[in-house]
Amino acid sequence: MRTFRFRWLGWCCILFLFYCSPRNPHRILVWHSMRPAEAKVLRQALGRFEKSHPGWEFRELYYQNETARTNFMISALGGSGPELFWGASDNIGPFMEMGVIQPLEGFFSPAFLDSFISEPIPACIWMNGHLWQIADRVGNHLCLVYNKALVPKAPETFSELIRWGQKIGTDKNHDGKPDRYALAWNYTEPFFFVPFVGGFGGWIVDEANRPTLNTEAVRKAAQFIFDLAHVHRVIPLECDYEVANALFKDGLSAMIINGSWAWGTYLESGLDIGIARIPKIDETGLWPTPMVSSLGYSLNVNTKGEKREMALALLKYLTSTPVQLEFTQVSKCLPSRKDGFQRPEVKNDPIILASIDQMEVGRPMPVVTEMRWIWDAMRPGYQAIFTGQKTPEEAAQYMQTLAIQLIRENRE
Amino acid sequence: MFSKEKESRILLLSYTLPAFILMGLMVIYPFIFNILISFSNMSLVHFKDWKLIGVQNYVQVLSDPNFAYTLLKTVLWTVLNVVFHVGIGVSLALFLHKNLKGKSLFRTLLILPWAVPQYITALTWRGMFNAEYGWINLALSKWFGISVPWLSTEWGAFTACLIANIWLGFPFMMVIALGGLQSIPEELYEAAEIDGASWFHKLRHITIPLLKPVMVPAITLGIIWTFNNFNVVWLVSNGGEPSDKTHILVSWVYKSAFTYFRIGYASAFSMLIFGILLVFSWQFIQKTKATESVYG
Repeated sequence: MRTFRFRWLGWCCILFLFYCSPRNPHRILVWHSMRPAEAKVLRQALGRFEKSHPGWEFRELYYQNETARTNFMISALGGSGPELFWGASDNIGPFMEMGVIQPLEGFFSPAFLDSFISEPIPACIWMNGHLWQIADRVGNHLCLVYNKALVPKAPETFSELIRWGQKIGTDKNHDGKPDRYALAWNYTEPFFFVPFVGGFGGWIVDEANRPTLNTEAVRKAAQFIFDLAHVHRVIPLECDYEVANALFKDGLSAMIINGSWAWGTYLESGLDIGIARIPKIDETGLWPTPMVSSLGYSLNVNTKGEKREMALALLKYLTSTPVQLEFTQVSKCLPSRKDGFQRPEVKNDPIILASIDQMEVGRPMPVVTEMRWIWDAMRPGYQAIFTGQKTPEEAAQYMQTLAIQLIRENRE
Repeated sequence: MFSKEKESRILLLSYTLPAFILMGLMVIYPFIFNILISFSNMSLVHFKDWKLIGVQNYVQVLSDPNFAYTLLKTVLWTVLNVVFHVGIGVSLALFLHKNLKGKSLFRTLLILPWAVPQYITALTWRGMFNAEYGWINLALSKWFGISVPWLSTEWGAFTACLIANIWLGFPFMMVIALGGLQSIPEELYEAAEIDGASWFHKLRHITIPLLKPVMVPAITLGIIWTFNNFNVVWLVSNGGEPSDKTHILVSWVYKSAFTYFRIGYASAFSMLIFGILLVFSWQFIQKTKATESVYG
């Protein structure tokens, strides 16, 4: 009887010990935020790599951008996490400061690193004298995407866009809103607002990465977007990322401002799309300047020994030109290797060429940690303009004050 | 060999030990650690090299005018939600308790909002509240000629979150009330009927007093869950939009901790929330004597 009573305890202990046993020492995990079509390419690449490395397992796991970043920080600080982390280069500042990734420069030859582009945006992300990320694609910038069935030629300037938008934006069903918008985009999110600050001749940080938000350019850019919605009525009054995407896919918006990560889904939906620069701002004669960054792999600080060797081999494989071009084919993203740019599938693709053209007027995204607090400081003030709680002047001042406060509080 | 008494003690310990170990690892250790870091400067740049800084975080939280405002808003959010949850839940339970045709179908349909994952429900409501393309405004403008900017104003977004959470919360109260109603002996109603009691009198003198022991713990839980209901507020308002005006205390704590990475500050904030809920629950249970029947 007693044997029976205690047997279950024995089983529990065995199960507990089994659960607590170390993870498969021959498994490499990659966390990423790739869209489904790209994730499929990644899975295929991992599958091929697995075949050539018997005894090892290679897996990928999707997380939404913010979640990926937060979860990676927490798990790596706790001594675990994936061996490789794929994401945008603006993660590097916080990752480096928290010590959750390890420098890569000692593992790769200078010739290998030289095979990546360094202009207009570096594919290898160096900070404080160390290499922290190697990109498998560059750009990640916003462009004007237009539905060729509705817009035969993309507008060059915003006055052209507004004129055309008002022509097509009639309210035939009298529901108080245009039947079709000229343009839709996630304009209340600071990342999608920033190109317009550049279009008005300003920028959100200076050379020392200090916030420069209380400027004429920021005020004018905010007023300009507000007017597009409320005065010219060529963009929706309320529009987040999902709504903008849905409007564009349903043909209720002729154009959208979005990045290369979304183009694959438009092509998959059967839309005949064209890519162009975001139209010029008439008042300044300047092109809007989207932020340009790179996306790539970093190595978890906890990855050691033979696992590290294998993770680095995988990193090398995933950043190789043939694999990069597979991604390019699916999502039209720009490769990060110099020879990738010379390949016909890149040189002859009108969408990719237009994306490169937009990138030329973009500005590199700073990778310092301060950028996080600047984004966070911009959101409430900027959004308050569209809710009528703040004028652009008040919002600009508020954003600047909050950015300085957040940087100070976090650096204390 | 163990004596019988010792053996029974070992058995008792072996049954309870796994629960104690798990509670210790999952609740007690994080709780104590949370208290510790609430007195520290732990943040994005001081994650590993954090140090104790006294009550600075508590002072910062309490002296922030946003704290009082968000607390008031959280109280309003909780009261409105619980009133509607209980009101709608109990009304529907009374309705379903009758001998109706198709009762089980109604019951299943009314439990559906509870069965659908919160995440999906919240995002669906967010879509429905879109000013130009959500069906709520499309219906309002078609029938009444009005359009409400639900998600782009502070109180519009608050109302949107409220409606979504009422939709999600009433089935729980309905199920609890229905269980309570089924346990009330039918003889009491028959006796009251013989005495000529009206429907309202039966409700007031039989149903409500006998539902109380079931409903009070449910309401206490409802208050705690609603006070801490992060998901709906976060998802419907897209992280507190517009302009971080649609926050309740927990969503603000989350933002402080996992967006701004002000871990020490967020820990102090969460300890204050814990204190508020502890005092409230204690007082509420004492005043309503909700646990008396259980503990005798």
